[in-house]
Amino acid sequence: MSRTAQAGTLESMDCLVTVTEANAGSGISLGITGSSAARFKTAMEKKVHEVLAAMGVKDIDIAIQDNGALDIVLGARVETAVKRLEREE
Amino acid sequence: MALNAAGRDIPDFIEGYGKTKLFQGAFAVKPDGRKAGAKLRCAESGCTDKRVADIKAAIIASGLKSGMTVSFHHHLRNGDYVVNMVIDACAELGIRDLTLFPTALFSVHNKLVEHIKSGVISRIMGSVNGPIGRLISEGGMGVPVVLRSHGGRPRAVMAGDVHIDVAFIAAPTADKYGNICGSQGKSACGSLGYAFTDAQYADCVVAVTDNLVPYPASPISIPQMYADFVVEVPSIGDPAGIVSGTTRVTRDPLRLLISRYASQLIEASPYFQDGISFQTGAGGIPLAVTAFMKDAMIKRGIKGSFGLGGISGYFVDLLKDGLVEKIMDVQSFDPEAVRSIGVNPNHIEISADWYANPWNSGAAVNMLDVVILGATEVDTDFNANVNTEADGALLHGTGGHQDTAAGAKLTIIAQPLLRGRIPCVTDNVCTITTPGEVIDAVVTEYGITINPKRKDLLDACSQVKNLPVVSMEELAARAKAMSGPTDPVENTDRIVGVVEWRDGTVIDVIRQLA
Amino acid sequence: MLYLPGNNPNMLTRGYLFGSDGIILDLEDAVPMREKDAARILVSKYLDLGEFGSCEVTVRINGVDTEYWKEDLAAVLPYKSLSGIRAPKVDTPETVKILDEEMSAIEEKNNIPVGHTQIFCLLETANGIWNAYDIAAASKRVTAIIPGGEDLTADLKTSRSYEGTELEWSRRMIVIAARAAGVDPLDTVFPRITDDEGLRRETEFIKQLGFAGKSIIHPNQIPVINAVFTPTEQEIEKALKIMRAAKESAARGQGAVSVDGRMVDAPVVKRAEYVLQRAGITEVD
Repeated sequence: MSRTAQAGTLESMDCLVTVTEANAGSGISLGITGSSAARFKTAMEKKVHEVLAAMGVKDIDIAIQDNGALDIVLGARVETAVKRLEREE
Repeated sequence: MALNAAGRDIPDFIEGYGKTKLFQGAFAVKPDGRKAGAKLRCAESGCTDKRVADIKAAIIASGLKSGMTVSFHHHLRNGDYVVNMVIDACAELGIRDLTLFPTALFSVHNKLVEHIKSGVISRIMGSVNGPIGRLISEGGMGVPVVLRSHGGRPRAVMAGDVHIDVAFIAAPTADKYGNICGSQGKSACGSLGYAFTDAQYADCVVAVTDNLVPYPASPISIPQMYADFVVEVPSIGDPAGIVSGTTRVTRDPLRLLISRYASQLIEASPYFQDGISFQTGAGGIPLAVTAFMKDAMIKRGIKGSFGLGGISGYFVDLLKDGLVEKIMDVQSFDPEAVRSIGVNPNHIEISADWYANPWNSGAAVNMLDVVILGATEVDTDFNANVNTEADGALLHGTGGHQDTAAGAKLTIIAQPLLRGRIPCVTDNVCTITTPGEVIDAVVTEYGITINPKRKDLLDACSQVKNLPVVSMEELAARAKAMSGPTDPVENTDRIVGVVEWRDGTVIDVIRQLA
Repeated sequence: MLYLPGNNPNMLTRGYLFGSDGIILDLEDAVPMREKDAARILVSKYLDLGEFGSCEVTVRINGVDTEYWKEDLAAVLPYKSLSGIRAPKVDTPETVKILDEEMSAIEEKNNIPVGHTQIFCLLETANGIWNAYDIAAASKRVTAIIPGGEDLTADLKTSRSYEGTELEWSRRMIVIAARAAGVDPLDTVFPRITDDEGLRRETEFIKQLGFAGKSIIHPNQIPVINAVFTPTEQEIEKALKIMRAAKESAARGQGAVSVDGRMVDAPVVKRAEYVLQRAGITEVD
């Protein structure tokens, strides 16, 4: 069973981020669903990759259920989720 | 293809619609020619009772055939049974390829999707939302839907652009000779404003009632010389869906903030004086603005000359409290409004033609001082979109947006700047419903943004303390900064919707989502 | 000052637009234990962005009796947009000193002038109220003391009433202690969000007691507070008159100030100064 962690909520202007540990070398697998997915996928993907790079994360499964989160919120929730995952040991 | 006056590329001819007349400006096109008319006909001599046995009998008697146009009003709103009853019956009788010409549709009509898929309905002219809108956005109809405003619809009928074969008029009260009343009966809906044009211009009129009274009924909204047949049914609608209960002013802080700014703009404008007239809004921001205006009017001892539009108990109270002298009611929203229109001579029932038709000798919107409207998007030229979502999906009919914006001296669009992450202010709206030339201000939680051509309003607002004035450039930049870059809407070339301006010209088209 | 739940993106984005003098980003009671980390990260991002209009920005951290307070301080102090922190359950001047020390260390590490970040002390126990003066005087950082509501009532072993009898003496004590120590007394929140009339009555009462302001938990409460606290046009006119007269007589080297032919005492001039302060008027011409 891979370790997994979550951060955020489905409230207005928030997003629920679920991260699952992935094998070394498998890369970043990112899925985005929800209200912003249709018009903001590019911007959201960019933000997620930025945050993961800054945290030195190269391999992870990350799923985002969005309810209108701005970049600032998306970044905070991804960071929190990854930190929670890392703390899980 | 050619660019119309709103800057949109419109083809000369649209499959399923015909030759297009390009939008030339909000007031550019004047009428020419004479009114179209209904078929001349007379009552059966010796007949003193127009009743037929049931809906099916009425359909047969009306001569409705495949390919014809049927019309309905939407005064029973989400409690309506009549549209579904009639279309179901048409399906059972094997009638197909109908053009549906409602004044609006609600979620109670969602099951029409089945009739669209099966070919009973092959064209719709009027507002579409929910699953029907989505079906059309995804290309589920063979011909484009035509969206017209409340004023543009009667114009189209009178000018002969649309011919109604059979009008089915849901009648809360009727007598056996076809007098119709909206304010009495168990399914009372108040004003029957949207039904008048259909009664006057259809080749055949069927009154559908669940409250038959002895002849002659009174009071009378639509008189007997229009109705050809009368059908009695157990119920024309569900009262819970027809009248939605007393409207309460919102307590949502964001909407209250926006409403306060809008009210301050109105108070600073030259129109805030004795005799002011305003469009009456339903729910959310428009109602909250009225609540703030009411306090300001009381403080300054100002009385309104009239309130116009969709009427709820809140406005009936304004009338009773003497804050407004008259109410002109084109649709009634709740039991208080229904009660009031039946008893108060200062509460006047008006038709859609009277309310908003640009091609008559003067509609009520022309006398309006102030209107508060919403929009899904507004662009840097102040063009407004109410028909599609930011992702291009069909969402709403036009309603009275174009008419009130064109008629009112002060047109305000009041909206939160962002809906979730989606900005309401963009560089170019997905679909233009109402052009910037008739929109005077946009009010958001960040303040008041005034159309540069209204220098008088800009001057007036700069004098007011604590009233943030934001330029359109700043507002658009803020929206962009907060939401980030958007991926473009993907659509195909196929046109699934035609947005007409009030005068019948084409202001924009809606294309199928990819 | 409007409390904004620290884990709520919607309120953090919009909270400053509603017209309060300040906002309090809450990491304490508004955030459940399992979300303390998420709220801390979210709040620090908003502090970094620094878009709060003209609102004064403070953060309510968790109490020094918890495991969170040090991380809270480390996460929020580095940002220029932060004016101060609100510390819950301050019982003794020692608590202030502990906070002071930790804050100085963080400020130093982050190139912020040591002592810059203020402390707003929440006095939520009988001890806290009893020690009010000492707490207020415990550090230059202390800029205000505030009575607790629920917690204080519980510590006094009574219940909250509609009239607020149980908090009356605590409030009076805080006003005296605050003014004696040279800090501001600020009042606690009014929990009944839909009771505008009750809010107005309580606000008028505490204003008369001498409080400088009040915390609120819902934007709809702002117009009521402002109506009570904001000086009227007449009050401002009167205060300007007094201040002008005071300036004139000072320029002439006279000790006595006369307005409209009547002598005006020093306390009256001081009160006029305060009215103009609350009206946001700094220049008297």
